[in-house]
Amino acid sequence: MLKTVDLYKSFGDLEVLKGVNTEINKGEVVAIIGPSGSGKSTFIRCLNLLEEPTKGKVFFKETEITSKDKKEVDIDKVREHIGMVFQHFNLFPHMSVLDNLTLAPIKIKGMSEQDAKKQAIELLKKVGLEEKKDAYPNNLSGGQKQRVAIARSLAMNPEVMLFDEPTSALDPEMVKEVLNVIKSLAQSKMTIVIVTHEMGFAKEVADRVMFMDEGIIMEEGTPDEIFNHPKNQRTKEFLDKVM
Amino acid sequence: MYGNTLMAVTIDFTKMIKWIPTFIDGTIVTVVLALMTVVLGCILGLLAILMKRSHIKVFNAISKAYTQVIRGTPMLLQLYIWLYGFPMIGISIPSIPMLGSIYGSREFLTAVVALAINSGAYICELLRGGLDSIDKGQMEAGRSLGFSNLETMRYIIIPQAIRVVLPGLCNEFIMMIKESSIVSTVGVFDIMYTSNIVKASTYSVFEPLIIIAIIYFALTSILTTIMSMIERKLKVYA
Repeated sequence: MLKTVDLYKSFGDLEVLKGVNTEINKGEVVAIIGPSGSGKSTFIRCLNLLEEPTKGKVFFKETEITSKDKKEVDIDKVREHIGMVFQHFNLFPHMSVLDNLTLAPIKIKGMSEQDAKKQAIELLKKVGLEEKKDAYPNNLSGGQKQRVAIARSLAMNPEVMLFDEPTSALDPEMVKEVLNVIKSLAQSKMTIVIVTHEMGFAKEVADRVMFMDEGIIMEEGTPDEIFNHPKNQRTKEFLDKVM
Repeated sequence: MYGNTLMAVTIDFTKMIKWIPTFIDGTIVTVVLALMTVVLGCILGLLAILMKRSHIKVFNAISKAYTQVIRGTPMLLQLYIWLYGFPMIGISIPSIPMLGSIYGSREFLTAVVALAINSGAYICELLRGGLDSIDKGQMEAGRSLGFSNLETMRYIIIPQAIRVVLPGLCNEFIMMIKESSIVSTVGVFDIMYTSNIVKASTYSVFEPLIIIAIIYFALTSILTTIMSMIERKLKVYA
């Protein structure tokens, strides 16, 4: 579904990614863990080119989306199929919850307003927020905002969902409601890449855990391999600190 | 007896009654001038901010020079340069007779151009502030859904920026109502200029000035009220 080849990214003199090679398969749930500053967020943001890699390639299905040939790749079209959920939700504050969910399907996919609304309400039911459809984002709690943000992404019917630390900005008591939504997505066979500090969640839900440090994937494997039998010294040190 | 009348200038506002139409004409000129200035200024400001944000270096430089020069020199000087300076090197705003003797005059049209160009520089800065105030996560959210840069601006960034910028734009309009009084120095028949006309005919100085002050104050008060009404309405989502 997604593949990166020798991915490098620098911000000025700071080299954040130093050659990341991996492949994310259809239906797979991949959790990326690692200390802060390890390049996890930069990596996930390179997958839909919110960050332009300095070097290397990113493939979505068969297409190289890093290709410079504009005729070959329309990144806006590609992004329709890659949903993204951010740490700080980034809901559109000037629109109601319902409008947040219908804007992109109507404007981009040309869906009728009626169908878009119907779909939005279905999605809001799924995340348990149907009664909030007319509320504005600023009147929602953090957990509610994030669930709306997930629903907004799903409204484009993406083939893969990227989660960039979706619970890091939440109060502790709201983490679970968001994780539960992501978990049910995972159970519905959605392809998911999630950067997270929730080790319990990674252990329980992920098919594969990726430990990143110093801009590379230090170690990856099943949750059991990473959490119970880590081979890399850095992985061990990191897990000792957080668990 | 003679000395007495010289000392005691009689204040008599009733003398002003027959000049009411003149005051009204002047008021309309002031409002039209300020309105045209701000509308054209918005267009110029928008162009300037687009140039400032573009990837073409020449545009950046032009936009920067424009806002800095305009904001760094007095408006009266700019008006004089447009009206008396530039014609010397062959640049002048032509009169448009079909718009009438006031609105079509070279002075009025030049004033519109000079004031709009002045206003545009300030509005450009206003717009910049408005756009900068929108969290960059909004652009990222829009792009990640599949919107292009322009579409994200149109559907997500600008509707929010307008709410931030609108009070400033109203304020610019109020400023222009007052600041445009300098055009009276070049013979544009605005509300300020009516005092000259009335003074010349009635030899009254005090009354026309007070009436003009009241008119300016009424105009700005009304606009301020409208502005706060709009602001309150825009705050609903916050």
